[in-house]
Amino acid sequence: MANLLIVGTDKGAFLLRSDSRRAQWTVEGPLFKGWRVTAATRDAQGRTFLGVNSTVYGPAIQVSDNLKSWRQVSGPAYPKDGRRKLTQIWKIFQANGVHYCGVAEAGLFRSEDRGESWQPVPGLNEHETAAAWTPGAGGLCAHAILHDRTNPQRMWCGISAVGVFRTDDGGRTWHPKNKGVTVVLEDKIYKDVGYCVHGLAQDPDNPSLIWRQDHRGMYRTRDGGDTWEKIERGLPSGFGFPIALHAKSRTLFALPLESDEFRMPPEGKLRVYRSTNGGDAWQPLIKGLPQGNSYDVVLRHALTVDTFDPAGVYFGTTAGALYASRDGGESWHTLPLVAPRIVCLAIAVE
Amino acid sequence: MATLTVRLPRMLSGFTDGRMELEIEGDTLAGALAALTARYPALGVHLFDERGTLRGHVLCFHNDENTRWLPTLERPVKSGDVITIMQAVTGG
Repeated sequence: MANLLIVGTDKGAFLLRSDSRRAQWTVEGPLFKGWRVTAATRDAQGRTFLGVNSTVYGPAIQVSDNLKSWRQVSGPAYPKDGRRKLTQIWKIFQANGVHYCGVAEAGLFRSEDRGESWQPVPGLNEHETAAAWTPGAGGLCAHAILHDRTNPQRMWCGISAVGVFRTDDGGRTWHPKNKGVTVVLEDKIYKDVGYCVHGLAQDPDNPSLIWRQDHRGMYRTRDGGDTWEKIERGLPSGFGFPIALHAKSRTLFALPLESDEFRMPPEGKLRVYRSTNGGDAWQPLIKGLPQGNSYDVVLRHALTVDTFDPAGVYFGTTAGALYASRDGGESWHTLPLVAPRIVCLAIAVE
Repeated sequence: MATLTVRLPRMLSGFTDGRMELEIEGDTLAGALAALTARYPALGVHLFDERGTLRGHVLCFHNDENTRWLPTLERPVKSGDVITIMQAVTGG
């Protein structure tokens, strides 16, 4: 078995394939040259989805069952007479046989035919608070989707700069779940929104245990989002974008940045932070990473973790550097690609 | 029915079987564009927005004329006319 790493960048996608030791990598691409690849997902049946985008030609979803031939599927799309425009595909996610797609302007779509066609989720898209939804620096985007493996009626969706929503009735109704998190943009009327979730990670065996890299800090919930607590011991900053969990070892990885004002690695040192106790404490990982004059950023979908043990951890930066660890973060090396600005990563076993 | 030439930028050729130049038939400019997107539905998504209007940074020329300033696309076309799609690159 070996890894396939899909690298989505500002100017196309690259496919990196490893040997069984994850030591040697080959590079293929760019696919969709010139197109910004904003989302990448491999579903359980092996179909690969790419969200592609162009400031000129707009967004779409491309799918492939063999990574050779690609085709564009129908939608998602907002109604012609609606007030919203579809500007970016942010997340494609499979849960209980249904595919979900989070987009900007913020909304959620679902597909019951494996992504061939998409229907809006009105309970979220037309939420009573929607008039108060305000974009963050990355736009008004539904970028995170989680589901409860033990309860198919329960899902979560993270929207910037709005907050986390949860459904307990299969997507019919959605409720803001941000208690305990510091608000970013307080609305005059709707006090449950105005939160800026950046990334979510979830314990697969205990779906109510979720970690949240938020604009206002690093948080954890043990009750499915009903309450959140701050967990920043050892972190240089609460601000950052990606968070990922290695499921086998229950190890968390994050890349905090110096404040929302500056958004750079603290002190110009590229450091991954790891927690092996569920976020109670974090330790920096530096071996093999530049510890000076490093000011590139890791975007929210540009960190991923494989399923091997010890964990393979991968992240790409806005300067196009691609780093990997095959020992759970103890040491790092670059992969043989200097890419355009890296937007997203996805990992799959081949 | 007139036969027109359509020229496309390379970034869109992935939606037209790799072709950057092709022929399309129509009686009017609107009809020719409709025939183009009917033949290549995925292309239509990238030329027109949700409201069915040409995307803001997509330029469409009928021969040498920018169609954005035409009062209507329901203008007659003749064989040999050229529709050129370009991207309006702003900024630097």
